[in-house]
Parts: sequence; C-alpha cells; structure tokens
Amino acid sequence: MSQIQQVHWELEMDYIGHPYYVSGNAILSSLVHEMPENTCRHLTASHGMFVPGQFGTFPDEHSQNGFRPYLGSGLPTVESYDDLFLMRNPSQMWLLDSRPREALNTHDIRTQSGQPAIAHDIIMGRPDDASKRHQTTKWYIHAYLSADRDDILPLDNSWLDGLQFGGKRNYGYGHTRLKATQLVDIEALDYSRLENATEHLLVLVTPFVISSTYPDAMSRGIPWWWDVTRDTVREREERLVKQGDVYRLQTVDHGQVVRYDGNRPVETAQNGIFRVGSHSKYGFGEFRVIPIDHQTEVTQERKTSVSARSN
Amino acid sequence: MGEHSTDCSKPASQEELLAAYRHDAHKFTGNAHEFASEALDGILVNQSVPHGADGDAAALSRPSGEPTQTVTTHETPYRLSLLDGTSRYDPATFSRPILEEAINKLLTTTDADAMHRAWLSTTVASGFNESSYYPYTSLKYHTLLVAALYALYQEGHEFEDIKIVVDTAETIIPHRTIYSGEEFALRLDTTARGRPAARLGSRPWRSWSSVWSRLESHPLQTDSNRDEMLLDANLRRICSWSTALQYIEDFRRWVNQ
Repeated sequence: MSQIQQVHWELEMDYIGHPYYVSGNAILSSLVHEMPENTCRHLTASHGMFVPGQFGTFPDEHSQNGFRPYLGSGLPTVESYDDLFLMRNPSQMWLLDSRPREALNTHDIRTQSGQPAIAHDIIMGRPDDASKRHQTTKWYIHAYLSADRDDILPLDNSWLDGLQFGGKRNYGYGHTRLKATQLVDIEALDYSRLENATEHLLVLVTPFVISSTYPDAMSRGIPWWWDVTRDTVREREERLVKQGDVYRLQTVDHGQVVRYDGNRPVETAQNGIFRVGSHSKYGFGEFRVIPIDHQTEVTQERKTSVSARSN
Repeated sequence: MGEHSTDCSKPASQEELLAAYRHDAHKFTGNAHEFASEALDGILVNQSVPHGADGDAAALSRPSGEPTQTVTTHETPYRLSLLDGTSRYDPATFSRPILEEAINKLLTTTDADAMHRAWLSTTVASGFNESSYYPYTSLKYHTLLVAALYALYQEGHEFEDIKIVVDTAETIIPHRTIYSGEEFALRLDTTARGRPAARLGSRPWRSWSSVWSRLESHPLQTDSNRDEMLLDANLRRICSWSTALQYIEDFRRWVNQ
C-alpha cells in the first residue's frame, strides 16, 4: 500500500467547476461510474491540479535536469520525493521564462450557459493573425490515486479514460482523455534532501479540514507539529457534495507555509502524500515538506535578480 | 537588490518622488532609455531612481538577464491583457495624439501626493507594458512599485523589512499604496498597523504567487463567490507583480461590465 498511481488527464472541453482544482471527491464520483463499486470504495484521490501543456525546465531540486518539450503534458519519471510535486504548485515554476508564462499559466474564462467556465485551451496570438501565427496550449489535470489494499492499483486504463468533471456534464463540459499514468512506490523514493536538513517547512498543497458538517467527521485543531496557532492562519470554507447533500468544511487554506515542529520529516512527508485530517480520502490535507536550505533561496534569487541592462 | 545603504534615513523630497513617477516616461513612446529625451514640457523625465529601486521593482515582475521576446507577434509598448489576450491600444487602429495629452498630464503633475493618486487611478498607463519583451507586464504598477520601494529605501528601510499589507479601499497611504480598488487597497510598508500582511522575503524576485499565498487573510469572498474564486485561483498562478496587480484591476472591470 505504499504505491500511488499518478494520472494526467487532458481537458477536452471547457470546465465549469471548482477553479482551484478538480476535487478528489469529484474524481472518485466520476470514477465510480466506470469501475466496479466494490473496488472503487478502496480508493482515495488527490485533488487534480491544472497544468498547462507547455515546454519547461526541471527545477533545481528535481532528480532530472534540463529542458523538456511539452513537460506539462506528460508524467516525468519520479525518483525523488521532490519529483512528486513538480506540477502540484499552481504557479508551475518549471515554465520557461522565454515564453509568456503568466498568459500560459492563467485560466482563460469563458461564459458558458451563463456561468464562468475555465477554457480547455489557451490560444495565443491575436484573432486577426490567428490563421498563421497562433499557438494553442492544452490544459491537463494532474492527480494521484492510492488504495487501502495492495491489489487495487494500477487501475485499468479504460476506467480512467473519458471521465468528466464539474457541472453541465450532460452538455459535454469537463470531458477529459487519459494522457498518461504511472505507478510510484513511495517507499522507494530518495528522501535525502529532507534527511540532510535539520529544519523544515510544510507547504499546504490542498486545504486542511478543521471541522466538517459531514456526519461523524472529526473536528480537529491545528496539528501539534505545525508551529502556528489558528489565529495566525488563513481559513476558507469549502464544500463537500455527497449523494446530493452539501456539507460545509472549515479549512486552513492551501498555499500557506508553516514551520515544521516535529522530528521525523521523512515519515511526516510520507503522511503528507497520503494526506492528513478529515476528508483526506477526497484530496484534503495534502502537504509537502521542504528542507530549509538557505542555499536554495540564494540560487533562486540569483536566477531572478534583474541585470542592470534590462532597463 | 538595490545598492541602497541604511545611512540615508530622511523622507524622500517632493522632487525625488516626482522623479520616480517620471523615470519611465520613455516607455510610453517605446524608446530605449539611452535614446530617450531628458525633458518634457520643461520637466526632467527619464532620470534614474536612486537606491536601485527601479531594478528591484523590475526583479519583482520580469526575468533576469538578457531579455527574450516572449510574444513574437507583439513587439510594441502596448500591454497585452491576461483576460482576453488583446491590447487596449491596438497600434493598427489607435491614434497616438489622443493619448499624448493624457500622458503629459500624468507626468507633469507637480505635487507628489497628487502624482501618486494620479498613477493609482490612471487607465492610460495600464495600457502600456514595462518592457516590450514581456508585454503582459504593466507600466502603471511597475511605476507604483518603484515609487513605493524608493520612498521606503530613502527612509532607511531594507527590502527584507518590507511587507505587502491589505488595506480597506478608503486607506490610501501616499507613496505606499500600490493598488487601489473599490473593495480593497494594497500597500508596501514595514508596518502592517493591524492589517493582514505578508513579508516579501530577503530579496526581490517574481514572488507574487508565493507572497499572495502567504497572506494572513485574503480580501476576496472566496468561500462562495465564483468570480472571486476564479480571480484568486489565477492570482495563485501569476509570478510577476505588475502583471498580477494589473490583472486584479482588469478582472474587476470585467466583472462590473
């Protein structure tokens, strides 16, 4: 049960749904129609992150390096812990500076049936010259599945292909195609960056649920191994829809960074992959452990500091 | 980071602040800095800004080193919108003389606080980019960032002391506020005065999404309002400061249409 199955879906139609991510709940709700129910109930799903199908370069902490065409439209091999998170930060730091990265990484918004929808592609170049000079970039959804039994993963590709996410599915919105999938053994990854550091930070990749109106869900405080108090974190309300009923979740909002106050970073990191807190089965409570490496910050700043000549 | 030192700790003078708002006048015409005129209607423009404030603001919004033309179909001083990919001032149809009067007015104001307010509310400067290599950047927000950094450095503060602070819409602090809208304002400052804030870090880099994600509270209704969630979702995807600030302005205008 130390395996996860990464899945990369290509968005074929505009998507009317949660704009931060496709929730793990939405992924499991779609999957249950494609596979045996008694197998599906053993699954957990991460939230699906939106990734532009663009060229990129691997970041310094990745086990691979260099330029890769269409980095965002596939699943690079995963060898180290940091590799898992390449596409799970919305700012997609691997995008090339030689391209208009902000335009390629923000969602175009189209109004569909009176609702704002996230476009399934990005068309660069103005309409009047579109015929000869435009470029189209497709959007992908990056997620991973895990299971509480050893004989569940990998899922049959036919179950993963053709899933639909978000609203107005009867009209074809949110339709996807399976682009790539691979198994990753969490126990076999290289965790040396975490082991070699004495201090660590935690990045909340998805919201952490503090309380939920779902029956029997546990209310939880901030974990003791986060060096923060509740009055210093940003909260946001989320919703969970089960069998047509809507439940309200109070969460610590994703994207925040807290200092790690524990002393078992590798074990904590592995727990973060499988997620912590209520509704972790549906994608909530994912986090990444980052070693505090002052050298890393210096490297990043060296890359981004502007030279005197660029006016 | 700027080569400012901590031994200068007096507030910036009116003239110095005015010079900061006028430092990129040449970008309205697309001239390179070295070929730019030094005067406009008898007022000095295109003067370099002390303490490295211009370079630091640039580092917040665009890549380092040799610039690359990122949109080969658009090599003009006019900004491209992240919302719809178009330029408000399409060079094929836009007549320059209409614009020049508004630009001159923006640069020749002689009261520094009025100059700050003029830049906060200008729609003219938001039609231009801060570098034609990076056409989604915004000259308006680059200039406001330069002025705020310059004023802070002049008072003796270091970059690492600076935070982004979320203010109410009514709170406009001269030469600190870098965005002003109907719902909220944002400023660079060293004191939060009880407002939500996040540190910018030890050195300037394209840190918008990182800093925005670390704010103690967001000034958006992200629990239930789908438009505000979309705005927030995209703000978490943008690294460039001037692009992100301009996107908030553009998004608000689009929602209110």
